Amino acid sequence: MANREKNFASAVVYVHNAEKRIKKFLKMLIGVMEENFEHSEIICVNDSSTDESQKAIKSASTTATTTSVSVVNMSYFHGLELSINAGVDLSIGDFVFEFDNTNLDFDPAVIMEIYRHSLKGYDIVSASPEKKERFSSKLFYHVFAHYSDMQYKMTTESFRVLSRRVINRISSMNKTVPYRKAIYANCGLKTDNIRYKVVSGDGDSMDGQEKSYRSGLAVDSLILFTEMGYSFAKTMTILMMVMSLLMIVYSVVIYVTSTPVAGWTTTILFLSVAFFGLFGILTIIIKYLQLLVDLVFKRKYYSFEGIEKLTK
Amino acid sequence: MEQFDKIIIGAGLYGLYSAMFCARKGQHIIVLECDPSPFRRATYINQARVHQGYHYPRSISTAMKSAGYFERFNKDYAFCINKEFDQIYATSSQYSWSDGKQFKEFCKAAGIPCEELYPGNYFKKGMCDGVFRTREYTYDAMILKDYFLDELAKHPTEVQIKYGINITGIEKHPDAYVINTAEGIFYKSGFVLNATYAGTNQILDMVGFEKFGIKYELCEIILCDVNEKLKNIGFTVMDGPFFSIMPFGKTGFHSLTSVTFTPHTTSYDGVPTFSCQEKSNGYCSAFHLGNCNDCPAKPVTAFPYMANMARKYMLDDYSFEYRTSLFSMKPILMSSEIDDSRPTVIRKYSDGPTFLGVLSGKINTVYDLDEVLSDGE
Repeated sequence: MANREKNFASAVVYVHNAEKRIKKFLKMLIGVMEENFEHSEIICVNDSSTDESQKAIKSASTTATTTSVSVVNMSYFHGLELSINAGVDLSIGDFVFEFDNTNLDFDPAVIMEIYRHSLKGYDIVSASPEKKERFSSKLFYHVFAHYSDMQYKMTTESFRVLSRRVINRISSMNKTVPYRKAIYANCGLKTDNIRYKVVSGDGDSMDGQEKSYRSGLAVDSLILFTEMGYSFAKTMTILMMVMSLLMIVYSVVIYVTSTPVAGWTTTILFLSVAFFGLFGILTIIIKYLQLLVDLVFKRKYYSFEGIEKLTK
Repeated sequence: MEQFDKIIIGAGLYGLYSAMFCARKGQHIIVLECDPSPFRRATYINQARVHQGYHYPRSISTAMKSAGYFERFNKDYAFCINKEFDQIYATSSQYSWSDGKQFKEFCKAAGIPCEELYPGNYFKKGMCDGVFRTREYTYDAMILKDYFLDELAKHPTEVQIKYGINITGIEKHPDAYVINTAEGIFYKSGFVLNATYAGTNQILDMVGFEKFGIKYELCEIILCDVNEKLKNIGFTVMDGPFFSIMPFGKTGFHSLTSVTFTPHTTSYDGVPTFSCQEKSNGYCSAFHLGNCNDCPAKPVTAFPYMANMARKYMLDDYSFEYRTSLFSMKPILMSSEIDDSRPTVIRKYSDGPTFLGVLSGKINTVYDLDEVLSDGE
């Protein structure tokens, strides 16, 4: 107790229909924060839960003494990414923990382990469960790594700690953050990952809404953060343009060397030139769309219903 | 039993202003105060702003009223006003209920000056989307107190101020109110003004009048020593869960407050009920509110929380250090929750004998009292 950390720590917890798990999770978290930090806060982002999560948070928060517990209630379902952003924007800590779920499948000591590891000079330290990744996750991260040039390998993570420096860096990039992990991996500061042994958790805890959000996010991230869509479209247009050119050459050769049916050459020439032009236009449109995607990033990106301070 | 023209309960600004207003007319006044000296609570323990309305971008009525009285207050009490600093208002990029553009339009509508500045000169990158230099001052409550005491001393036959008075009951007689005190002394008058602010419902309860719909917040104002760079600047990041650090009158300190951490605990009961009252050894109760600043059970400072919030926004060139904390109870009208307005509400509970209650909004709306004090003359 005597050697509590002087740094101010914030913890942002994503809560969506977690009435069964949140109480146990929060009690553990309050314990860890109060035991290790002189000053801390916990921000629960309630992503429009339809169950009794909010009540559970309230009742768990009564055990807090030195840490401050607050809840951000999102107006409608925003999904993990925007909700965590909302929580991080509100946080005031020198170090901010992000908990992507309330599945307590780790030893509470891991929280301080990643914090101490970050003090060694890592702006982001994440914690990943030491278990086999789902096939879909593995495929996603593989495709992602292949089509983007990031030095840092992404993987399934449960929670992480960020320094205030990296948060400032990201907010000054002045974009919305549709997929945090990609931005974090790209922020240019030192990051690291720690793997922890899975202790009995509650297993998979996502509901249907979260699952469909996740697969949607995967597609979006691939399109937004990797060159996958653009490079596919580019390859296809170039291929088709080359084929159109070949067709032009072929029809001219046929016209000169043999006598085709009347009108054949004109038709083929017209079609080839038209397709050539069409694919040229498509390339330009795709480029435009890519630019638009960047612009769309800049819009204001979440709405919250209210912030409730529960303790202190 | 002594009889007076008017009894004023509470020796804050509103109480002493009323006393002076009536004394100058030659009326016989007594001011009853439970603390050992005047201006020990809300008049002293607040951000000490002389509002011109900037604070209320969602309540143009409060803004215009403050702006109206702003000039008058600064003229009447110029000796206690500190104008020697830049008052910077900013809107946070995230979580603000108003943005920079809305704030600018609001100032235009309310007719108060505001000059747009470049956010990067004051705040960390991306934190604020609008920064404005405004015209707002701070008053020094202790200088103001001395002025009122000096002025009142010029009317020794008209005004008496009694300190350390513990009111135990108020009775309504056909022609007058009689106030009983713990000392066994009775005070009688046909006109009572309840100017107690946080204690207002406790007084109303004694007579059986309808209480104000208020919530109570135990608030902490932190006084800080600041560096040269911050010395002549006041910052207010507004309209949401943010903070303010600005000069505190002419004391040389800055006051640091934050919307989330300044209120320590909240009570929604009709009369202020807090768990710390049990630890106050009888000094404070739901029936008689002690002075939070003098209380043995006052809370531990929230300085680390407020400081971190301020540092999250301000450039690192601006530095400040903890000096001391001031605590006081703040009643907030429940009807003000949505628009965040701070109206000064004056209610008349009875006529002949007259019982008035005032719940002050802002320091410079004290002039609202003129009308009711001259009533029936």
